Amino acid sequence: MIRFQNVTKKYDKHKALDSVNLEIRQGEFISLVGLSGAGKTTLFKVLLGEERAEGGQVLVDDVDIAKLKKSDLPYLRRKIGTVFQDIKLLPKATAFENIAFAMEVCGHTRDKIREEVPKILDLVGLAHKQNSFPDEMSGGEKQRVAIARALSHRPVLLLADEPTGNLDEVNAGEVIDLLLKINELGTTVLLATHAVDLVNKIKRRVVTIEEGKITFQQEQGKYKL
Amino acid sequence: MAFLRIIKNGFTNFGRNIWLSLAATMVMTVTLVIFATLFLLFTLTNYSIHTIQNTVDVSVYFKVGLAEEQILTIKDSVQADPRVEAVDYVSADQAFNNFKALHQNDPLITASLNELNSNPLSATLHIKARSLDDYPAISQGLENGQYKDFIDKVNFEDNRAVIDRLDKILKFIIAFGSGLVAVFAVIAILVIFNTITLTIYNRKEEIEIMRLVGATNWYIRGPFLTESFLYSLFSTIITGALFIPVFAKVLPKITAYVNPQINVYNHNIFNFWYLLLMMFVAALILSIISTFLAIRKYLKI
Repeated sequence: MIRFQNVTKKYDKHKALDSVNLEIRQGEFISLVGLSGAGKTTLFKVLLGEERAEGGQVLVDDVDIAKLKKSDLPYLRRKIGTVFQDIKLLPKATAFENIAFAMEVCGHTRDKIREEVPKILDLVGLAHKQNSFPDEMSGGEKQRVAIARALSHRPVLLLADEPTGNLDEVNAGEVIDLLLKINELGTTVLLATHAVDLVNKIKRRVVTIEEGKITFQQEQGKYKL
Repeated sequence: MAFLRIIKNGFTNFGRNIWLSLAATMVMTVTLVIFATLFLLFTLTNYSIHTIQNTVDVSVYFKVGLAEEQILTIKDSVQADPRVEAVDYVSADQAFNNFKALHQNDPLITASLNELNSNPLSATLHIKARSLDDYPAISQGLENGQYKDFIDKVNFEDNRAVIDRLDKILKFIIAFGSGLVAVFAVIAILVIFNTITLTIYNRKEEIEIMRLVGATNWYIRGPFLTESFLYSLFSTIITGALFIPVFAKVLPKITAYVNPQINVYNHNIFNFWYLLLMMFVAALILSIISTFLAIRKYLKI
């Protein structure tokens, strides 16, 4: 489904990605592990078309992202859901409105939004919180709303960049369980994380990235640096 | 659906920074008021020049009783002059009838005319030159030329000094006005640029989320363009409202003074709707320029 072929990305002289080769198959759950600054976020940015690689190719369903026009990038981003450590919810909008906003932006009708949002909130276990504002929710709940928002246009791939970074153990565990559930329902998940215990608990494919290079890959692996 | 949401977001942008939006609208209004005032002054001066130019002609009065054939020969000869644009012949009878018609409501003149046994008026030629500068030469040519014995008198009022003066005023209005409009246009562009930049800054989070969830570039940019459209629309409406009394009261008086025979409402020299449209287009161009500059510099897509 997604292939990185010899992808290199530089910031000035620093190589954030150095000849990265990686294949992400449909339906996989991959934990991308590495220290801060190892290149995890850059890899995500290249995949979303936010940054352009200087060398190599990133193919999504055999389409080279570098060859996409700027006006086509939004449609690529609708295929890829994103979740971040800093959550990025609208503070003055309820859980329902945050998800509705994402759907509105992509042109869904009001009826469709009214029908879909409660279902998505139910999927992430927050049906009862649809009228709550972000500051009335716990960190884990906020991240689940962010996941719900990412799922609102049924992406084929979910990118989660340190989604548990700001959460306590219990909340982090809940978020990971949710990601696993989403993966079981058919969405491919790429999770970038530091959290050793969580990766070891997931027991799925682990890819280690160090100084921009993929140094280790293992199916049903454990956290390894 | 997306289009309506873009428009709605544009109104939201306008409303969220209401004081800034009002400031931008006011600066644009001042620019438009200056623009409209100068445009009206230009039109008025230009119109005055044309009116005065149109009143200039050489009138040739022939001696009473001169045969019409002779006058028509003179007319053909004048017409052949390349400096002459048109020659109007008014026969003695026609002049008499015109005079009667003009004073038909004056019983004293009508009674006096009825007393007359013969027509005291002479035939005339009214000559229009192609250029104002040719009038003195045409006039002198007739007074001293081969037909001078048939001519009673040649009348020519030299209005060139007035026209020259008006022309200078017109050139001043164009030069001074263009400078003033340019200065205010730059101020308006800067104010709107800053307002849009602040709106972009205020909506930073929303824009980032829009980008992440796959909003199209136009969905993100559209509200800012709508916002600048609203500045143009509101400033045009305010300026238009300010100019309604000018159009209703002041302009008819000035026009009547310049040319008493003209009714301002029947002659399309000052068309309110045309001015409004022109102001709106000018405002739109200015605000779109500043919005595009702000978007290019600060809105990452």
